[in-house]
Amino acid sequence: MFQTYDHDPLAATADRQAWMALLARAPVRMLDEALADHQATPQWLRQPETGLMMVQGRAGGTGERFNLGEITVTRCALRLNPLHLNAPVGVAYVLGRNHRQAQLVAVADALLQDPTQRDALAVSLLAPLRQHLQHMQAQRHQRAQTTKVDFMTVAREATGTPNEDAE
Amino acid sequence: MNALQNMVAGFDHEAYGSQAVFRTALQALSHPGRPLDMPLNMRLPRQGHGAAAALLLGLLDADTPVCLSPGLVGSDAAAWLRFHTGCSEVADVTQAQFIWVGQGDALPQLHNLRQGSDAYPDQSATCVIEVHNLHADEAGWRLQGPGILGERTLRVQGLAADFPSQWSRNHASFPCGVDVFLATATQIVGLPRSTRIIAEEG
Repeated sequence: MFQTYDHDPLAATADRQAWMALLARAPVRMLDEALADHQATPQWLRQPETGLMMVQGRAGGTGERFNLGEITVTRCALRLNPLHLNAPVGVAYVLGRNHRQAQLVAVADALLQDPTQRDALAVSLLAPLRQHLQHMQAQRHQRAQTTKVDFMTVAREATGTPNEDAE
Repeated sequence: MNALQNMVAGFDHEAYGSQAVFRTALQALSHPGRPLDMPLNMRLPRQGHGAAAALLLGLLDADTPVCLSPGLVGSDAAAWLRFHTGCSEVADVTQAQFIWVGQGDALPQLHNLRQGSDAYPDQSATCVIEVHNLHADEAGWRLQGPGILGERTLRVQGLAADFPSQWSRNHASFPCGVDVFLATATQIVGLPRSTRIIAEEG
């Protein structure tokens, strides 16, 4: 529902989408390490709350929409600097029921919107995070590769007339 | 900039806050014409009267289309209400279940709003109208009907002059018709469709 609130220029939105996608997959341990200096209680706009969301899919990615199932999601919204009304608002939607994870992601989102903090956090959090996720993906890929089976297929004998199949 | 920039929090405590608001709304409709203090245990947006914003924050949810008067459309109050309740905003008053009329905005014609049907009179609209002041027991309107022992008087400041005539038409269509809340910055008055208003001149 936050899409309706985003009237940022396109590029800024794309940037934010990119880091939101990273943060949503971030393990709590990495968030904790990178955000050790920002553990103060923020000003809540919406306290962390857990609920269900319906995930929809399309058969083959193109077919009709169907309801795949419900997932547990925790969301929150906060502002880091209560004295400054125009301080950026951090928003988080994460899988699962971990309120602390949602808070850390929202804090990271708020900091990344602040031009003075963005570059530092990009180095300390986003870069290692990207590396970590790539590493995980590579590992998973490798594991999947070990189960790969090559089927020996016998070439069909071309004995029949071409018209046989068309009937 | 996006509308989240000016966003403020809602209820200090979601459950207690909304229960207190709901209790006050019930009380207001049970005692038509009695001004009641709205418990304002929340952060309020800059626009709109506090009691009206609190009432809608407590009553709205994702299934209730709300229509805002021109002065409130696009304001912080509208974004605040959408953010905290998840309600949908409609431009057409005839589609809305709740109508929020800001101070100074034109009153929609009550008979154009959703009236409900004889089988389902509950499917009607509820109109929250902002006014300057509400004074109980002062000469102005004489109210009669269920919930009032004999008669009650109420003086309302800052309401469109044609409201009593619109109201008599609304009252006549009982059991259909709309219910109205009048809201100042801190108080609300409930006017269920069963209440009769006799306006005294002067």
